[in-house]
Amino acid sequence: MFARRLLCSALIATGLAAAAPADARDLMVVGFGGGFQDNARKHLFQGYARASGAAVKDDVYNGEMAKIVSMVKARDVTWDVVMVEAPELVRGCEDGTFEKLNWNVIDRNKFVGGGTVACGAGAVGWGVTLFYDQKRIADGPKSYAELWDTKKFPGKRSFRYTPKTTLEIALMADGVPFHDVYKVLATKAGQDRAFTALDRIKGDIVWWRSGAQPLQFVASGEVAYAVGFVGRTARAAGEGAAYPLLWPTLLYSFDYWAVVKGSPNTAEAMKLINYMTEPAPLLALAQDWAVSPATKAVADDPAVRARNPGMVANHAEVGLSISTEFWVEYGEDLEKRFNAWAAR
Amino acid sequence: MTRTKALAVALMAPAVVVVILVLVVPLLVGFATAVRDPELRVALPRTAELLRAWDGRGVPEEPVFAALAQEVRAAEGAQALGALSRRLNFERSGMRGLLLRTARAELVAPYSMALPAVDARWGEPATWTMLRRASLGVTPLYLLRSVDLDVAADGSVVAQPEEEAVFVKLFRRTLVIALEVTITTLLVAYPAAYAMARLPGAWARLATVLVLVPFWVSIMVRTTAWFILLQREGPVNALLLALQVVDHPLQLIFTRVAVILAMVHVLLPFAILPMLGVMKRIDPRLARASASLGATQWQHFLRVYLPLSLPGVGAGGLMIFMLAMGFYITPALVGGTGDQMVSTFITEYTTATLNWGMAAALAVLLLAMTAAVVGLAVLLVPRLRARTA
Amino acid sequence: MIGVVLTRAWLGLVLLFLIAPLLVVVPLSFSSGEVLTLPMPGFSLRWYEDFFTSGRWLVATRNSFVVGLHTAAFATLLGTLAAFGMFLWGRVPRLPAGLLSLPLVVPSVIAGVAMYFAFALVGLTNTLAGLILAHTVLALPYVVVTVLASLQGFDRTQLRAATSLGAPFPVVLRRVVLPQIAPAVAAGGLFAFATSFDELIVALFIAGPEQFTLPRQMLAGLREFLSPTITAAAVLLTLVSLLLLALHQAVWGRKGH
Repeated sequence: MFARRLLCSALIATGLAAAAPADARDLMVVGFGGGFQDNARKHLFQGYARASGAAVKDDVYNGEMAKIVSMVKARDVTWDVVMVEAPELVRGCEDGTFEKLNWNVIDRNKFVGGGTVACGAGAVGWGVTLFYDQKRIADGPKSYAELWDTKKFPGKRSFRYTPKTTLEIALMADGVPFHDVYKVLATKAGQDRAFTALDRIKGDIVWWRSGAQPLQFVASGEVAYAVGFVGRTARAAGEGAAYPLLWPTLLYSFDYWAVVKGSPNTAEAMKLINYMTEPAPLLALAQDWAVSPATKAVADDPAVRARNPGMVANHAEVGLSISTEFWVEYGEDLEKRFNAWAAR
Repeated sequence: MTRTKALAVALMAPAVVVVILVLVVPLLVGFATAVRDPELRVALPRTAELLRAWDGRGVPEEPVFAALAQEVRAAEGAQALGALSRRLNFERSGMRGLLLRTARAELVAPYSMALPAVDARWGEPATWTMLRRASLGVTPLYLLRSVDLDVAADGSVVAQPEEEAVFVKLFRRTLVIALEVTITTLLVAYPAAYAMARLPGAWARLATVLVLVPFWVSIMVRTTAWFILLQREGPVNALLLALQVVDHPLQLIFTRVAVILAMVHVLLPFAILPMLGVMKRIDPRLARASASLGATQWQHFLRVYLPLSLPGVGAGGLMIFMLAMGFYITPALVGGTGDQMVSTFITEYTTATLNWGMAAALAVLLLAMTAAVVGLAVLLVPRLRARTA
Repeated sequence: MIGVVLTRAWLGLVLLFLIAPLLVVVPLSFSSGEVLTLPMPGFSLRWYEDFFTSGRWLVATRNSFVVGLHTAAFATLLGTLAAFGMFLWGRVPRLPAGLLSLPLVVPSVIAGVAMYFAFALVGLTNTLAGLILAHTVLALPYVVVTVLASLQGFDRTQLRAATSLGAPFPVVLRRVVLPQIAPAVAAGGLFAFATSFDELIVALFIAGPEQFTLPRQMLAGLREFLSPTITAAAVLLTLVSLLLLALHQAVWGRKGH
């Protein structure tokens, strides 16, 4: 009896182990979540599913490469298409984390300048801006220099837990004009200057890691000011929150679609990326969400621009374009220094 | 061995084997991860072999340069080179760029001329001695970095520069938080357990169940509760404002106070229950005996009751300290950046920064530190020895 | 006398401190607002509705029960056999006892990271089987301790009597021993289930999104989505814990303390 039960348990265990790594699985798309992904699910992921008959699922991450690198290393790739920020994409491409895209399947000519790299096809523009709740604070800081004035503007400030954007902001707050930011940040003295500027407000910083957090922090009064994803801030403002959109505090870049190296669905993933960067589904998406796609026909469409005043592309000239080249070159070292600085 | 003993062994074997396979072996793998250094050998096997044979003086001969140039070139865009560049960049900033530039360069023999032409660092002995150390397969680097030490270019051990020295402080902070939490929990628990041990039957059972409830409720649920309670506009601040204790909301969440409060909440049952167990076994007639000998209640407590109840305090205290040293979720959710414990960094290195060596080295040191404090306590306090033996 | 009053008042405060935070979540879970703050804008069941209609939470619930039940089954089986083995040995043997108490003393972050490295080598990360194995080991000590405690009252002569009557050992174990220690076995099983059901840290390391359990999904909810659905999940999770505690008290309560 006991022997039989033991045998049964062993069988269940091996059955579970065998059933776990399923080879034939649905296409898995992973992005940063939020309103964009909710709308992308409807128009892009499920649009492709309807058009091709393939099943598409999606999930959320915060842009950390560790998960992707370890699944590639373990040869157990459970994500197929991932939305990646530019420097991480370029580094991951060099490190063998992402597949080179197949430009026979994906039409390279439909993108705006800089809209493609070897391992990525431009998805959407994104940006961060400073915002706060005008119901609580009638007259808040209008620039990063003012944000650093903790006497005039007391309360916690929330930034994304990463040197990218945070160091640029610190330099601008310290008086560096935005066209000089990367020149200064490329020097040891400039990096010291950025960290010294951050030191001045360190006690008032609350870090965020996922895009939903700055909105929750500001909405609940936990922090007074936050630098958060502008798409989400604009959406919340559109739904009644009293958040000013301070376009001169914009820092922006592109997110790219990439294919995880060793994905069993590589061919299907290329087709999905081509579909997601076609004008038709993006135009449909633009009806519901203020996207700034890297697809020329949509990005330049005056009707789309007029309908979505919160598009990053409409404010590119007043904001700072986050330098991919800079972060590819200095990212790893500055992350190390940033983590050590934050831990102290 | 008798038949009964053989049977006993056979019955214990499955559980013991499972613990060994699922916990002991992984722990050994974890310890090994702290000193393993496979990246150079995997990415550039021939270069690694030649480097190991090299005497380490000056710069190596042409064959080493040639092997490196060819293997780096062949590995461009491969996972192994990515792993190697992360590994070397961890030891010295800028190595990633050096490797990538070299992988992309068109090189012709003699490579001992061509490589330094790509980047002057290929002409420096320090670069090559570092590569030689990385070719050995084992490295003390992760363990050294975990105590803010570093390997200098000549192989000697030096202190990390001040701006990167964070771990000694982190271990000290972890120890301080664990001790603060342990002492606070014991002080809060002792009078409560004392009262519980003297409650009449039904009340005692009710109190026991109330202590057991949080013990059974998931730590995630309890931490979520504290996360909500301590918000700027959360219930605690609302209450304080309503009672006019304060006139503006206090910063509670993301502070050390929040971490200690929530940890004490999680750990209190671990203190109350063993104390209660011991206190219930103290013979109530002892009080009368003390009184008949002329002792006051206070003297009885200090001289008789307290010493008799100490084993419960010790057992609870050890358990709490061990648990507190490894706490992750509570500091991570309700603490600020300055309240994070070693566990946060172990998790961060595993799931975000992808530096398994550092994660393993920190885990090894945390385990060693916990074991050292517990061992010291058991050695110094004879009562604990009797209890744990 | 004054000492009694003071310590009882203190006990009351401590019990309030232990229980009150768990109760605060309950009203919030019925809030109609999107933000986790008081005062609540209104009453609604939307977060419970969200819990029972959202794929993530349902998958997490299923995973929690699958992992919990398997863990309880394996840990109870292995733990009961081991405890009886220790009982047969006579004096509790040091080496197995030490090994079996290891899961209690190794901080869970260290166990989690070690299992993550080792499981990655054999492809057990991101699998339910890996999570079940890990939780089985974490739950084993509780089963062993409970069953061993119950065996203290077991009369050894029964064993000799039964064997001398020709009953083979498995039959003796099932017919003679098991009925007498059944409450302890059940209590151990319940505690094993609860251990797995509440476990977060090891799951954090070795479970992928497809294997998320309820606590792990709550962490994701608190960190990444910040939806008040976590309060509904917290209330439901608490109810399951209370049910388990009640069952545990019913089969084992008074003997256990």
